[in-house]
Amino acid sequence: MRWRYAALVLGLCAWAVLPFILPRNLVDLLVFAGIYTVAGLGVGLLLGHCGIVNLAQAVFYGIGAYATAYLTVEVGAPSIAGFVVGALLAMTVALLLGWPILRLTGYFLALATLALSIIGNALFYEWDWLTGGTLGIGGIPKLEAFGFALDTPLRFYYLAWLVAFLCMLLAHNLAHSRTGLMFRAMRDASDAAASLAIDMQWLRTRVFVLCAFFGSLAGNLFAHYTSFVSVQSFTVDKSFSFLLISVLGGVRSVFGTVIGALFITFLPEYLSRLGDFHQILFGLALIAVVVGLPGGLVSGFDLLWRKAAARKATPHDR
Amino acid sequence: MSSGLIVQAVLAGITNGLTYALVGIGIAAIFKGTRIINVMQGEFSVTGAMITVLLLGRASWPYWLAILGGALSGAVIGTAIELLFVRYMMRRQASPQSFILLTIGIAITMSASVLFFIGRSGYVLPPFGGEGAFVMLDAVIGSHALWLIASALGITLALRLFYHRTTLGLAMMAASIDADGAATTGVDVARMRTLTFALGGILGAVAGILVTPLTSVDFAMGINLTLKGFAAAILGGLTNPLGAAVGGITLGLMESLATVAVSSSYKDVVALSVLIAIMIFMPHGMLGRAGRRGG
Repeated sequence: MRWRYAALVLGLCAWAVLPFILPRNLVDLLVFAGIYTVAGLGVGLLLGHCGIVNLAQAVFYGIGAYATAYLTVEVGAPSIAGFVVGALLAMTVALLLGWPILRLTGYFLALATLALSIIGNALFYEWDWLTGGTLGIGGIPKLEAFGFALDTPLRFYYLAWLVAFLCMLLAHNLAHSRTGLMFRAMRDASDAAASLAIDMQWLRTRVFVLCAFFGSLAGNLFAHYTSFVSVQSFTVDKSFSFLLISVLGGVRSVFGTVIGALFITFLPEYLSRLGDFHQILFGLALIAVVVGLPGGLVSGFDLLWRKAAARKATPHDR
Repeated sequence: MSSGLIVQAVLAGITNGLTYALVGIGIAAIFKGTRIINVMQGEFSVTGAMITVLLLGRASWPYWLAILGGALSGAVIGTAIELLFVRYMMRRQASPQSFILLTIGIAITMSASVLFFIGRSGYVLPPFGGEGAFVMLDAVIGSHALWLIASALGITLALRLFYHRTTLGLAMMAASIDADGAATTGVDVARMRTLTFALGGILGAVAGILVTPLTSVDFAMGINLTLKGFAAAILGGLTNPLGAAVGGITLGLMESLATVAVSSSYKDVVALSVLIAIMIFMPHGMLGRAGRRGG
């Protein structure tokens, strides 16, 4: 236990120092990894605890980003308005759509969310009076904290990851709370859960709404960081990316989500010479994890760790 | 609005609808045989069409041979997927979520491979039966569209006969309805599943090859085809090839009438909203109760 805390403190120190050591383009990627972690956490909660494959996260991500872009640029409202309106809008949409759609399960639910993602992108494209269509909305002001403009990757890095850590803490606590127990009952013995008066429909809807909130929050951060949003950022491919982020590392592990986000952001950078080759690797990585390591990369590390520990332990046991 | 416009829209709706039907029949065949919804069915169409384009253009094979090659590519890919991944995961009794993730992973890989190896641009195939066209009630229908309609209806009927009249088709159906029961009567259930995937692959590839003379095919269109095909299949009750054909035509007509009545830009929005509504309110499709399971 003490080792785990030591590792945590060391990790936090490394996290704080990292942006000063790394070149600017890598810090930029780390910022994106932080933003994607937030959105991926929502997808991971739904998949890991409710068994729901959510392919519509790009829509909620888009709602957050457009709320920030429209309110700060077209209306001239303060940044906080984008966060609040984006979150409320995303959560309302999730509630209204989730209530009927979450009656479906398995394949049918997954394809319904995929359809939602395509519908959402088509609407972002068509409602250009609101979203700017393919031209997008530019000139989104940088965030300011205590009179300190977050206008470089280095400065935004701390904000993005602070939000990511808070969301990770929230997701972790949720999974280990009374609600987390309900998740487990629902997942492992849904009939028993129903007989214990757990309203599973409502539970799933609530997680869907929480997932939408995470998506919107990530979208707000994205809009403020890049200061430009357009429909190309909210396609079905983005929904697939968020799914990959939650699955690759380990769907029930918050640290797994971070690993997934780092994989998604850094791999294209290192393979940029090969054009779009990284997308093939994304697909293959998803297949490999689903077939070979259903618990994600985190469970792979765990397995290696246990094997190493067992090897160390055997001589003493004899 | 002239009557010619409406007839033209109806004809376009039937042609598009039968394309969706062909993709949907593939999805229904795989679902019937394995209880898996194949999220990569549209990618079979894209690769089938692309391979035909390459065989015709770069390898300059005769057209009929290139079509045969493209169609067989679907069977090869389908068989490979079953042998490499599905068989192993079935043995592990993986959850539906795992199969969704698996087929999404394959879809991403295949679409990215087309992007990487062939490129971003769209390709077309020459129309079957030449460039000719017929005038019908103030509307024009290309000879290829007639070919597509005839092939789609022929495939639907052939599949129906296959499932009801041939030993292999009956064995495939038995293996999916009651795997243990089928095994006791000597049906090789695992092989039936492999053949089901091969059949689904051929159907998907043929759908892609048939549609490519009408609309150009590119790396990104697979997922849209999958969803439209899925909508067609689910309208028809999911396990019935004839139902998928009826569902596809309904969807196509709805889409093209929405294009005339509302605007072409909301075509996908209308079609996909209908898909979601049908799944919620008409879970057994238009043709009444059918054996839908798997979620």
